[in-house]
Amino acid sequence: MGKFYDMDDIITDEEVVSIVFEKAACGVGIDPSSETDSVEVGSKVELPFWLAHELQLRQAVSMNIPTCFNQKTRLEIQADSACVDLRSRCPFFYEFGCKIAPLVGVRTIGPLLLSAFKSRYKEVLTKAHTAAFPAASKHLTILTKEETNLYEAAQSSMTAFKRWRMGGPRFQRASVLGRKRKSTD
Amino acid sequence: MAGQSDPHQSLFSAEEVEFIAEDEMVEIIPNLRMDALNFICGDFGPFFPQIATQVPLWLAVALKKRGKCTIRPPQWMSVEKLTQVLEAERDSQRMFEQLPFHYVEISRLLFDHARDDIPDVYMVRSLIEDIRDVRFHKVETNLETLTERAFALKINNLSAMEVNIVRPFVGRALQAFYKHDSLELIPDQERVSDRRPQVANNATRRHLRR
Repeated sequence: MGKFYDMDDIITDEEVVSIVFEKAACGVGIDPSSETDSVEVGSKVELPFWLAHELQLRQAVSMNIPTCFNQKTRLEIQADSACVDLRSRCPFFYEFGCKIAPLVGVRTIGPLLLSAFKSRYKEVLTKAHTAAFPAASKHLTILTKEETNLYEAAQSSMTAFKRWRMGGPRFQRASVLGRKRKSTD
Repeated sequence: MAGQSDPHQSLFSAEEVEFIAEDEMVEIIPNLRMDALNFICGDFGPFFPQIATQVPLWLAVALKKRGKCTIRPPQWMSVEKLTQVLEAERDSQRMFEQLPFHYVEISRLLFDHARDDIPDVYMVRSLIEDIRDVRFHKVETNLETLTERAFALKINNLSAMEVNIVRPFVGRALQAFYKHDSLELIPDQERVSDRRPQVANNATRRHLRR
């Protein structure tokens, strides 16, 4: 429940999942181009995760593996995970995987995430602490949100330390004091 | 600043770590006579000219700024000792040398305020910078070996400022590893092969120093 207000969690839930309807549904306008308002049994639809999750709890649908975890991605990760552009597949790769894994029948998502994260983590570690120009790295554009958090944590603490080492005034004037008040008469 | 609600920042800022470091005792040689000073943290003095006294660093810096004393650099801050430490750091891959917990902050404060009291100040300064670089590089190399089995991290002889720099990163990394290693994600068959006998179970702790 601690993640209820977490913005990243809410956006992760928006990722689309392709599902197959087990029961017919009436009165739902999922497909605007169809004539009737109902959905047949066995039709494949793309829904956001939060909706698909609820429907699966009521056993009305069955979930398939999302496209970002398909065989192509797996092969790429096995080949060289540090260069795979995970952000274009799904910016919340790891969080989404953690949510999907218990719901879809396939048991291999967990180890896939783990191995991908382990090898990419090394890259993040070395680049984060030592990069002189953080914006210049192309490496940043392929990181998921979670890895970007890690990267920024290291980056900010490094810059804070460097700023302290340079010296400078120890006490900073509060921004409130700097503003002059206009006299009202 | 400490206690900020923004989880992206580290718990202590560098200035705060420096503030805590100022409680360390150093030796000063006053050049005036003064009665004992009574503070909440303790009593210091009385001060006699040319008699060495132990005071906290913040008091030493304050007196030095007013020209009332000279600070004697601590024992570990001599060129010979630092060269020894640097050699030892370069030689060992995983062990860190025993250095004062706040050596970074103390050295920076002394360079800023008591530059003329330190013999060979440029040499000492460059040695300390080198030591810092080597140690930090060592921390980074050892962090690369973090695996999913690591629930806690123990590094010996790391100084306050170095800990403060890596704290947010290591915390997040350990959390991420823990999240991905949870029971429901990894099927049981794959776990059993990694299990070691309970007697010699160091699997949950990743020691970076043997």
